[in-house]
Amino acid sequence: MTDAPNFGPGTDAVPNRPKTSLIAEDARTKGRNAAEKRFRFYGMAAIAVGLFFLVVLAVSIVRSGIPAFTQTVVNVEFTMTEADIETAEGMLFKTKMYAQFLNTALTDQMNAKGLEVDVDEKAIQRILGKTGGIIREFYKGNPDQMGEPVAFELSASSRVDGYFKGRVTREGFVDSRFLKLSDLDLVDSLAQAGVIQQAFNWNFITGADTGVDNPGGAGIGASLVGSFFMMLVVLVLSLPIGVAASIYLEEFAPKNRFTDIIEVNISNLAAVPSIVFGILGLAVFIQFVHLPQSAPLVGGLVLTLMTLPTIIISTRASLKAVPPSIRDAALGVGASKMQAVFHHVLPLAAPGILTGTIIGLAQALGETAPLLLIGMVGFVARGYPQGFIEGFTDPNSAMPAQIYTWAARADVGFYEKAWGGIIVLLLFLLTMNIIAIILRRRFERRW
Amino acid sequence: MYDAPHMTESHVTAAADVKIAARNVQVYYGDNHAIKDVNVDIQDKTVTAFIGPSGCGKSTFLRCLNRMNDTIDVARIEGDIRIDGQDIYDKAVDPVQLRAKVGMVFQKPNPFPKSIYDNVAYGPRIHGLARNKAELDEIVERSLRRGAIWDEVKDRLNAPGTGLSGGQQQRLCIARAVATEPEILLMDEPCSALDPIATGQIEELIDELRRNYALVIVTHSMQQAARVSQKTAYFHLGNLVEYGDTTKIFTNPEDTRTENYITGRIG
Ligand SMILES: Nc1ncnc2c1ncn2[C@@H]1O[C@H](COP(=O)(O)OP(=O)(O)OP(=O)(O)O)[C@@H](O)[C@H]1O
Ligand SMILES: [Mg+2]
Repeated sequence: MTDAPNFGPGTDAVPNRPKTSLIAEDARTKGRNAAEKRFRFYGMAAIAVGLFFLVVLAVSIVRSGIPAFTQTVVNVEFTMTEADIETAEGMLFKTKMYAQFLNTALTDQMNAKGLEVDVDEKAIQRILGKTGGIIREFYKGNPDQMGEPVAFELSASSRVDGYFKGRVTREGFVDSRFLKLSDLDLVDSLAQAGVIQQAFNWNFITGADTGVDNPGGAGIGASLVGSFFMMLVVLVLSLPIGVAASIYLEEFAPKNRFTDIIEVNISNLAAVPSIVFGILGLAVFIQFVHLPQSAPLVGGLVLTLMTLPTIIISTRASLKAVPPSIRDAALGVGASKMQAVFHHVLPLAAPGILTGTIIGLAQALGETAPLLLIGMVGFVARGYPQGFIEGFTDPNSAMPAQIYTWAARADVGFYEKAWGGIIVLLLFLLTMNIIAIILRRRFERRW
Repeated sequence: MYDAPHMTESHVTAAADVKIAARNVQVYYGDNHAIKDVNVDIQDKTVTAFIGPSGCGKSTFLRCLNRMNDTIDVARIEGDIRIDGQDIYDKAVDPVQLRAKVGMVFQKPNPFPKSIYDNVAYGPRIHGLARNKAELDEIVERSLRRGAIWDEVKDRLNAPGTGLSGGQQQRLCIARAVATEPEILLMDEPCSALDPIATGQIEELIDELRRNYALVIVTHSMQQAARVSQKTAYFHLGNLVEYGDTTKIFTNPEDTRTENYITGRIG
């Protein structure tokens, strides 16, 4: 009756199977374990090397960048009455009179501390710059302060600032019209009296760029706002367009040669150097559409072009990673394709989409090359945009472009600004990432 | 070739209570000819069992009946399948509407990564079967009871459906399928991961559903096919070898391949 082969027990037993111990390792097991150990070692070594360079990078950034956040200032308090100002305004060199008030106040302040110094007018000018103008501007802006004691905080010149930060030393000091060795004695005694000191440089975070001769007043604030508006444009355009395109390509588009070509080209676009997008933006957005030059709107559009492929590729990858059985389940209960995608597939793909978006945005945030071509580099910011809409259209810079500009300037004072700018840029990036992580946690309630 | 004329006669019954009529159905996965010229009439208010060795095309044919094969790019279907006399592959037919009418329980349990409640409530929600929360609650409870899983999950309806055991997930999927009140229910090995008790409950459900639905069930258990079905179809290498009353197939099969299979000599 049975013509099928018999696989019953006993007939097919392995002959002479050697007895093996569970405790003693045989040669094969040893080899495998050794291979695993080696692999673990390589992995740990790679991570250690990575961490080492990360620490070196972080330390050098912080060391070079921290000085940008402090500024040497002189605190002087004095009172100018209406009559004083009238006298000053009556002079030929108006600001000189204001400066004299300051000098007198400074001398009084030193004498009160019991320090006899000769506060030389010229020396003060070298240390603090043209103080008269600043004081005059202040009283013009705040006439109600006349007759009241006012505490002025005046920034020291770049060289004096450098002296406090160790950039300028007495050794090998050469007198110049900017600073003399004798000025340093005055600075030292001012420091002793607590009149001159280091203060947190709010202006660096909130201020705008200055001319090439005034590194002390330069701030990253305006370009931070520029970057912010650019990121807003990138996010608002690239996320919906990118996600919609990916969903269409992945879930709805017929799989034929045409969609294959599109797919290959999207991958290619992701590898196109960013400067190419820059010149495209120059040609299309500025020369053809006549959008304003140097505007965050144009920068944002260019960066959107650059970010789209990244977002599309990562979104498609995360849509692909959703198991097809979920789609089947939804279609099986009579959901339409669109319902299946939006109710079930998209929520599961959301964390991956977010990751891709944040990578794309981070790339865009740090991009300098395309901004070169649309005039957002090498521009001395005129300050803040007038309002929200103007934020998009007013000429501005972006953080990486601003850093690039500073790094290219001759005055060493800008060097620390560039590093400081990098710290702000990294903090901006960190904030973006943290927001993304929080959002991802929200979505990631996958069960 | 496939002695089609003979099959057409033997597998096609009086048209009166025919729910699904398939004629000359061919399915290709690329070059793989997975279903070869199948003709069958599936009757209303009847349980039809599809049996056959693994890879013979049972799932493939089942998926033709609610056009789930549309989602597979390489799949190509030829022939004619009519439900209540309507060609379901007609251009005018909306597969979404079709699938609301023809429910399906998949071979692999595939609950949504959502709560147990939402798993069952999803179908009724998108089809607007409940006017308010209370009605929806009622549908969910009734469906879970029919899926023989209510007692196990009634205290944790908000727990994730994917956190259930394999067998529980399978019953959840059955509950989900019956919640939309389809006219035809296709079940692909609904009891493959169930213990005898749950299997018994599902079989009871199948028997009860038979009063109002046409059911098609794929199973690898001869006993189950014999217990729950009135009609049995034996598939072999993409061919529908034999189709008829279950009692006849199991007691007096015409084809030797059927006989060999049900007596356990091939498979
Ligand atoms: N998505 C697919 N793509 C390509 N070929 C497929 C696909 N699904 C099934 N097939 C092929 O079609 C044939 C029939 O498969 P099917 O899943 O219908 O078998 P089955 O009878 O359900 O088997 P089982 O009892 O193991 O579930 C097999 O040869 C299989 O390789
Ligand atoms: Mg199957």
